[in-house]
Amino acid sequence: MSEARLRDRREVIREEPAMHASIVRALAEGPLTIPQIAAAIGEPPNEVLLWVMGMRRYRQVVEVPDADDEGFFLYALVQEEE
Amino acid sequence: MKYDALVVGGGIAGMESSLKLADMGYHVLLVEREASVGGRMILLSKVFPTLDCASCISGPKMSSTVNHPNITNLTYSEVEGIERREDGTFRATVRQKAKFVDWAACTGCQDCEVACTVAVPDQFNYDLVPRRAAYIAFPQAVPKKAVIERAGTSPCTDTCPAGIKAHGYVSLIRSGKYEEAFQLVLDATPLVGTLGRACYAPCEDECTRGDLEGTLPIRRLKRFVADRHYDQFAGPGLEVAAPTGYRVAVVGSGPAGLTAAFQLARRGHGVTIFEEAPEPGGFLRYALPEYRLPRDVVAHDIANVTALGVTIVTNTRVEDLAVLKDQGFDAVLIAAGTQRAIRLGVAGEHLSGVMSGLDFLRAVRQGTPPDLSGRRVVVVGGGNVAMDAARTARRLGARETTVAYRRSRDQMPAHHVEAVDAEREGVAFQLLVAPVEVLGDDRGAVSALRCTVMRLGDADASGRRRPEPTSREITLDCDVVIAALGLVPETDAFEGQVDRDAGGELGVDPTTLQSRVPYVFAAGDVVSGASDITRAVGQGRRAAHMIDRWLHGEPLDGFAALDDRVAVVDKTTVLARQQSFTHRESVAVANVFSSAPHDFSEVERPLSESDALAGASRCLDCGVCSECQECVTACPADAIHLDAHDEVVTVDVDTVVVSTGYRLFAADHKPEYGYGVYANVITATQMDRLLAPTRPYNTVLRPSDGKVPERIAYVSCTGSRDTTVDNPLCSKICCMYSIKQNQLIMGALPLADVTTHYMDMRAAGKRYDEFYEQAKAMGANYVKGRVAAIAEKEDGNLILTYEDIENGGVLTDTEYDLVVLAVGVQPNRDAEHLFVNDVLRLDEFHYVDEVAPDLNPGETAIPGVFVAGASSGAKDIVDSILHAGAAVAQAAAHLERSRTGVTREEVMS
Repeated sequence: MSEARLRDRREVIREEPAMHASIVRALAEGPLTIPQIAAAIGEPPNEVLLWVMGMRRYRQVVEVPDADDEGFFLYALVQEEE
Repeated sequence: MKYDALVVGGGIAGMESSLKLADMGYHVLLVEREASVGGRMILLSKVFPTLDCASCISGPKMSSTVNHPNITNLTYSEVEGIERREDGTFRATVRQKAKFVDWAACTGCQDCEVACTVAVPDQFNYDLVPRRAAYIAFPQAVPKKAVIERAGTSPCTDTCPAGIKAHGYVSLIRSGKYEEAFQLVLDATPLVGTLGRACYAPCEDECTRGDLEGTLPIRRLKRFVADRHYDQFAGPGLEVAAPTGYRVAVVGSGPAGLTAAFQLARRGHGVTIFEEAPEPGGFLRYALPEYRLPRDVVAHDIANVTALGVTIVTNTRVEDLAVLKDQGFDAVLIAAGTQRAIRLGVAGEHLSGVMSGLDFLRAVRQGTPPDLSGRRVVVVGGGNVAMDAARTARRLGARETTVAYRRSRDQMPAHHVEAVDAEREGVAFQLLVAPVEVLGDDRGAVSALRCTVMRLGDADASGRRRPEPTSREITLDCDVVIAALGLVPETDAFEGQVDRDAGGELGVDPTTLQSRVPYVFAAGDVVSGASDITRAVGQGRRAAHMIDRWLHGEPLDGFAALDDRVAVVDKTTVLARQQSFTHRESVAVANVFSSAPHDFSEVERPLSESDALAGASRCLDCGVCSECQECVTACPADAIHLDAHDEVVTVDVDTVVVSTGYRLFAADHKPEYGYGVYANVITATQMDRLLAPTRPYNTVLRPSDGKVPERIAYVSCTGSRDTTVDNPLCSKICCMYSIKQNQLIMGALPLADVTTHYMDMRAAGKRYDEFYEQAKAMGANYVKGRVAAIAEKEDGNLILTYEDIENGGVLTDTEYDLVVLAVGVQPNRDAEHLFVNDVLRLDEFHYVDEVAPDLNPGETAIPGVFVAGASSGAKDIVDSILHAGAAVAQAAAHLERSRTGVTREEVMS
């Protein structure tokens, strides 16, 4: 059983802008799930979820329609308009 | 201002109250603390039992509230106090919080949000997702206007004497916007590289992170962006305003003069700097040693000035200000610094080998250093110039270098770091000694310095203990004595032209920096006496602002960069925002020291990009908004004004309706359920957001890893009907909103199993029980028995332990991958602080007390004050609206009675 307390949510969210670059690098090769992004950048998936959702909110990433067989959505970079 | 009614709170009950009163013809002032009306209802997915869209019902009411001709809305405002007057009316004080956005111009385009560099938890999504410091409350906000959350000026920015937005450039660096960070500093001064190295960084002394593991490397971050810019760009990249036709002469090219010239040139004025020395830069070029401030950095900084068209005339001493006027200059700024060194004033000062610190440093910078190889050097003084001289002497090969200072080490005016660094480089300190005589040999050269030994007496005017001579003397054998006792302005030439004090400092108005001669201004050390680069920069900025206004015939005020900042945020407030802080190691200082330094290469190592990012990421965003200016740049309507301030208004009203709503139970107060400890334990209000049309994840995901949950449990009565958390009341809405969410989840996630663990199901009301039966028919499970504990497995799944009452009371463990706590309702005790000279009585549960809830619902203990909605107890939406109607009827009756002068008793008789 796990008893590790989660990091303070305000602290995790505050780090979102600083995490953009590494998440963008991770997604440069193609869409990934939250656990895959977490593995790529070496950060906990629960925190990566918050950062990715912040980026999604501000139109930097978008989910690929339909979850995979394991129940995870893939997230992709939003291509900037020409 | 006068209104018939004041309604406090813009949720569903407040909106209903306002609309009903307004429809009756009364003039209503509605005060809402958030930037939109709508309260909690607009955040819901759907409403029970009809499953109507909450936005569809609430939206039109919000729009009607904001647009009703009889309702004045003060959103983003708070009632500070309501005073009941002798005649039975009320006077309310309302604080309109600064929005920092001109709502008349704001189009709600969200460009400011996208550009903002500060992320904070979104309270309108119950912290499920970040929002920005610049934000529109939610997509259906009415009015749909942006505000910028500023808790105050961040301490780092507030303390900067140059008015540099330290928090701003830190947040830009954190976002990878390095050039924007450079430009933000450049907006204040051209000396970005200089301040990145030679500023004493008062910002770092005030950094709130310093109260944890240590300050951010704020100064070195500035150096990082300066170095990066100078490596990549040829010029400052600034545009200059159209020429004004005005010409300004600046006397002196130190930090004050360069900064002023730069700012004046940006405003379109023709600027000429007159510099006495062969090259511009003042002390930056001629006094600060190369190992602290390389000359190419100074050159880059000065190029920022000349790139704007500023002319620098060197080898030219200005003595007659009227001549400048005659030459066509419309204004003159004297920024000549402190060019005269204070003498030792002891016998033997004429001996060969005695020199001033300033002359010594200048000679070194000009390439004509004295030969100190193998010589013994005593530097007299304890300031930064003394430290610079001593460390420079070490680099010139001095065998021994001793700093002789008349006070103690902790009283030295030199920056602490400078003294420590000097010591690391082999400089010795002889403290509590004062020079009496320089001794010489028969060739007229220095041989020793005779000193009186001092002791510390009582405190002097500066607060420091005064050094007093003793009867003892010591002699320091030496070959060179460098006097670094201080610097004063050299302004003899201006005698009779502008005011001067005995020390040579020029007399100007401290705010406008204007002398008694209107076209002459003065700034920097020539006014303040020797200070430091950053203060001089601040004075240069101020002078430019004032000269610009004077040239345009405008009042000499409005210097917002330093004079009109939003009040500094309190550090304890910043630290109280979080329950815990992760230890974040400070970025190490990797300076290169030698006890026998032999060259002038830069001592301080630059930050790597990864160090800069790590350092900037430790910022706590004290003021929330960092003032990075990205929103200002992004706003197409030019609507953002970060120098706005709160405004306090006073209004007179005849009646008050309190509709401040309720609070939600803080789920972490039930530690056995693991909220805040286990990622996959959320509250039902969070689930409602995940199900809402404007849902933050676009579906229901479990927070631990973003997986679509398959087995979801609800825990009823979390924080209600529970004496262990001091809330024996039923919250009334939890059963029904859980059933609602059960149905919505089964619609959104058809494969998911949903189980509610409940004590007993309360579905009283029209169509409520049918709604419950409908959920069961859809496949939702309902298990009677209170959950005792929740534990987390390694994979993030959760084990619920409960007594299964309907199956013999067996203690049962069941595994889920998401648990939803149906949190209860609690009173919002803000209401009790509304009245300043009367008591808004509360009931035993701390809800607003209704004196006769069965006969006169909504009537409080204060005549003329009524309560609407959940402020008086837990209610669902329908009941809140009904209750608001009742309260408003009472309020209207009160208004009519007060106008006719007829009492209730007279009406009844």
